[in-house]
Amino acid sequence: MTTTARPGFDPELKAGLAIVGGVFPPTITPDLIAFMRKSYASPPIADTLRRRGIVRRDEVIAGHHGDAIEVSVLTPAQANGPRPCVLFLHSGGLIFGDRFSGADLVLDWVDQLGTVLVAVEYRLAPEFPDPVPREDCYAAAEWVAASAEHLGVRPDRLFVAGASSGGGLAAGLALAARDRGGPHLCGQVLDYPMLDDRGLTRSTHQFDGIGVWDRVSNETGWTALLGDARGGADVSPYAAPARATDLRGLPPAFIDVGSAEIFRDEAIAYADAIWNAGGDAELHVWPGGFHAFDIFAPHTVLAQGMIRTRNAWVEKILVD
Amino acid sequence: MQELLGRISALDPRASLSLRVIACFDELIVGNVNTRALLSAAASLAGCNAGFSQQLPPRAMRVTTKGAIVPGPFSPAAGSSVCEGGVTAWLERDGAQHVNDAIILERLLLALRLRHGHGRRDSDHRRELGLLLDTEAPIADRHTVASRLNLSLTGRYRVLAAPLFAVWHSHPTCVEDVVATPYGSIHALVVPESHDPVDASPCGIGLPTGVDKLDRSFRTAIVALRLCLPPHTPVVTADTYGALIGLLADLPDRAAVPDLDALDSVMAHPWGPATVDVLIQAGSVRQAARLAGVHHSTLQTRVDTITEIIGFDPLDGLGRSRLGTAYLCWRLRNSRVLDLPPPTGGRSGGD
Repeated sequence: MTTTARPGFDPELKAGLAIVGGVFPPTITPDLIAFMRKSYASPPIADTLRRRGIVRRDEVIAGHHGDAIEVSVLTPAQANGPRPCVLFLHSGGLIFGDRFSGADLVLDWVDQLGTVLVAVEYRLAPEFPDPVPREDCYAAAEWVAASAEHLGVRPDRLFVAGASSGGGLAAGLALAARDRGGPHLCGQVLDYPMLDDRGLTRSTHQFDGIGVWDRVSNETGWTALLGDARGGADVSPYAAPARATDLRGLPPAFIDVGSAEIFRDEAIAYADAIWNAGGDAELHVWPGGFHAFDIFAPHTVLAQGMIRTRNAWVEKILVD
Repeated sequence: MQELLGRISALDPRASLSLRVIACFDELIVGNVNTRALLSAAASLAGCNAGFSQQLPPRAMRVTTKGAIVPGPFSPAAGSSVCEGGVTAWLERDGAQHVNDAIILERLLLALRLRHGHGRRDSDHRRELGLLLDTEAPIADRHTVASRLNLSLTGRYRVLAAPLFAVWHSHPTCVEDVVATPYGSIHALVVPESHDPVDASPCGIGLPTGVDKLDRSFRTAIVALRLCLPPHTPVVTADTYGALIGLLADLPDRAAVPDLDALDSVMAHPWGPATVDVLIQAGSVRQAARLAGVHHSTLQTRVDTITEIIGFDPLDGLGRSRLGTAYLCWRLRNSRVLDLPPPTGGRSGGD
């Protein structure tokens, strides 16, 4: 038995883990990637969208090196005039998931706040290592900016949102867009983002074998992306934004994370670094929250608080 | 969470969803969450609204799958509601009942009654196994419970202990429940002493006792469970370890055990665990070398190293017992058998 001190799980969430553990084991080793691709595949999207009054159009665009990747453009059925647009980058540790994984939460922005949502099928590691996933996302951002008129979106109301690995990709995209003079982003939503390949924080070592996404799972994801470069000197801040030394001039950031997950410390550190660089960040640490608890247990009081708080920020940034 | 339950059964049709539902409500009960949280968990598990009402004082609440309160009264259909002691719980199910509805309602009602101050002892038979296995419970109460559970006061029984995620190839028909322990929620079953061997992985089988010592049988079953090493050793019977199992069951988790720190250093060697294991089994260095599949002189070198680290000869007299005891303590401290393993099918079913 370990003697590591760590915050306990919120009681409602702890109960949820009895169910979640059946599809999402705490410790994901490389030999479980194939299983996770099945167990974390998103449920059929068509019914969800019909119920919500959201129209979907799939497009094939040029990803990294011009390779074809798929995106879905989700538009409120009653859209009139150019809308704000969110580029959504899904969760799944860089190694599993698809563009609709965890999308239920961001669909609220489409049917309740009237945004257009572009969900990106970025390619996954280890088959497609760095820089493919992040450059697929960057290419999608450029495509949205260039197709604003065609998509019915306002180029001055484009923002990026992602959860977990998608949060890390979103943060990397914001850095890259700043440095390359790319699309102007008006905000970045980083839900419990996967920012740091080095695995050195205290929280990374606090939750071995429990909850959702532990230290070993994280090593599995980062190693799939970076191979031997993981933890070394040559990792790009666009891949692992925790390595960025210059956080000036970034779009306003919304960062949320659970206190009982390995990404707690890197999320807090990223918000702190943005503030120290004179930037705008809103940080929420939800007590007793395990990784992605809003996706797995949205019925709980803690998840409802997290979702409400995030939606309020998005509304503040986006809605006229 | 209904969607998650669907995924679990799609990935593994043999998975026991009802045990996961039980474990979920057990944590809600232990966490002492409020009525709304209980109803939202039930609604989320069922995929439809859940509600409750009580007569005294009059109170009712309905909650959606997203945990939102639904205003207004509701008259539950008989088939999708349960009622006991003035408390009614229901699921607002359109159409036919789902396979998990009954267990969700049963556990919801139990949790609501506990939350609203109806004690465990007045009329609730389902939770009584926990009392029977509780060292602190008065013997007279345990006898009452045993009678209600149809256990003979003169019979001898064993408690089986398994994690909720254990795989059962054949499931005994017997008294069973999920019981909170310092190691988390444990699935406990009481079978007659002469019960056939169980085919489950992992599972610990406790020492046989009379009904008023079942708490001790349970504790030895948990030690046995923690000594399991599936798939190689899926089941451990407490009897195998004779008197040692009782000592181990009584040993506090963080107790200082002489020889254990030294053994930790031995185990840090890549050859440590396998070598100690064969030394425990074998009668001589030569036999141990054969079991380990290494040359006699290689094993002798390792024994010399071990002797140097632990400060006594592990093959001589009392040294054998000291090594054996320290080894069992080391295995208990390093047991991962209660960690939820990858979902079944995870390693074989990927495509």
